[in-house]
Amino acid sequence: MSEQNNSENILEIKNIEVVYDDVILAVSDVSLDVPKGSIVALLGGNGAGKSTTLKSVSTMLASERGKVTKGSITYDGERVEKLNPSDMVNLGLVQVLEGRRCFGHLTVEENVISGAYTRKLSKSEIKSELERMYAYFPRLKERRKSQAGFTSGGEQQMIAVARAMMAKPKMLLLDEPSMGLAPQLVEEIFNIVKELNEKEGVSILLAEQNTNIALRNSDYGYIIETGQVMLDGSAKSLLNDDKVKEFYLGISSEGRKNFRDVLKESKKNKGLAT
Amino acid sequence: MGSEILFFFEVVVGGLLAGTMYSLVALGFVLIYKASATFNFAQGAMVFFAVLSFVGFMELGLPFFLAFIVTIGLMVIVGLSTERLVIRPLMNQSEDTLLMATIGLGYVLEGLAQAAWGVEVRRLDLGIPDFPIMFIADAIGIFISALDLTAGAVAAFMVISLAVLFTQTKIGLGLRAVADDPGAASSIGIPLKHIMLLVWSAAGVVALVAGCLWGARAGVQFALVDLALKALPVLIIGGFSSIPGAIVGGLIIGSTEKVLEVYIGPFFGGAIEGWAPYVLAVFFLLKRPEGLFGEKIIRRV
Ligand SMILES: Nc1ncnc2c1ncn2[C@@H]1O[C@H](COP(=O)(O)OP(=O)(O)OP(=O)(O)O)[C@@H](O)[C@H]1O
Ligand SMILES: [Mg+2]
Repeated sequence: MSEQNNSENILEIKNIEVVYDDVILAVSDVSLDVPKGSIVALLGGNGAGKSTTLKSVSTMLASERGKVTKGSITYDGERVEKLNPSDMVNLGLVQVLEGRRCFGHLTVEENVISGAYTRKLSKSEIKSELERMYAYFPRLKERRKSQAGFTSGGEQQMIAVARAMMAKPKMLLLDEPSMGLAPQLVEEIFNIVKELNEKEGVSILLAEQNTNIALRNSDYGYIIETGQVMLDGSAKSLLNDDKVKEFYLGISSEGRKNFRDVLKESKKNKGLAT
Repeated sequence: MGSEILFFFEVVVGGLLAGTMYSLVALGFVLIYKASATFNFAQGAMVFFAVLSFVGFMELGLPFFLAFIVTIGLMVIVGLSTERLVIRPLMNQSEDTLLMATIGLGYVLEGLAQAAWGVEVRRLDLGIPDFPIMFIADAIGIFISALDLTAGAVAAFMVISLAVLFTQTKIGLGLRAVADDPGAASSIGIPLKHIMLLVWSAAGVVALVAGCLWGARAGVQFALVDLALKALPVLIIGGFSSIPGAIVGGLIIGSTEKVLEVYIGPFFGGAIEGWAPYVLAVFFLLKRPEGLFGEKIIRRV
């Protein structure tokens, strides 16, 4: 049995190192906390280690021959090392994988229902849970009988989130929900995510390359690069941070560069000033 | 003239009934294909292994019914070991790797079956006569045996049960989800282990039933392994992932090969039954690669 979790944090990652195939170092040092009921953004460019970090938490890593080699992950008072993805879902943590990953040959409705697989629900309970989800995603209700593989990217992202929510999770891991979607759709999806967070009380850790929209919809943010946390702070402070602005929201004189260099430069400048 | 038409019908009906036996074997393939997206080359060996063990248990003195139950148990154990020793370790490998593994599994099962029970051809008497039922012959002039009818009924029963399992139950939904994307299925907590175990056991039971019907007609012998490969053209025509497809495909193959054999066979010196189904299959591959009932192939983006 899990000990009572009195901590304020539903998720605590402490100094993890993650290695694929025993040799590929994907994450070298990531620590982060997700307070209960909050939305936390994990930001960074291609290959920064966002997905790897999320998969370490959901324990989906093992199926890709990845391993957490240092540090610890505690979810809801429980160490996740010895658990498998099915255990994690039963404990109330569900990951929405990068690229949505709908079941293409199943209908939209079957996809959503499949999310309740681990719950023991009667036919009528499933019906009412389904209606609850359709209230958040009215578009899916319209398309309920369509084969998921033939729906649009935005609809597939909605299916993936609705499917995960059907497990009645305490915590959701969202991997790049904005990927490949038009700005207006991204906005729509983030609004729903925010609504789910508020109304269902689900804590959220989301990985994003789209810094701007992610920070506008989160409470706290971590910026990682080459498997390390570079900077963290409240979403507001990061949105107003000059370094973040320069690197993610604007363009510096030399064009885009490494965030690490931006940090170094700003340190150097500070050093000169004093 | 009238007798010629009657003869044609008789050929077709005989073909259709033989076809239900192809359908049964094809069903085993469809089960595995649905869950692993792999053509299970071991299915023929499973048919052979199952029915040979069944006959073996009866030779040891077990009564018919008990032997059947024990063999089902054995096939579940085969399914369990296959899941544990072959599927799970290869889960994250490419589908080709799994395909090769099923070829290997086939050889292992063939070897095990013969090592355990010997190589000689056995007779399997289900107590169902395989000669024409006279009153049907008298009434409509078509020769059908009780075994033919049993095979048809059993095939229909298996198909309906599996269709219900797939579309009406939770585990069926889980199974289709795993077939589409095992990673995503696992991310929502569907236990892949249980699904694979169920599928391989079900395929084992289907193999046993098919083996009994085939064995009763043709004798329990190694040739069953090759006979089972007739399921390949059946699947190409019906669609690899479709249960109704397996049935209709089997009926089409069964009836056309008989008709061709009788009417065109003589011009080729006979024995075109062996390859005609493959010609038909190639035609389908060119015109309709997903088969009659197969789901349109959806590429993930
Ligand atoms: N299955 C894997 N096997 C080997 N290396 C991997 C695997 N998955 C990721 N990596 C490597 O680990 C590093 C981190 O990748 P990860 O997918 O976590 O980054 P990411 O931040 O999610 O990037 P993106 O925004 O492109 O999705 C990369 O260098 C990547 O090449
Ligand atoms: Mg990623």
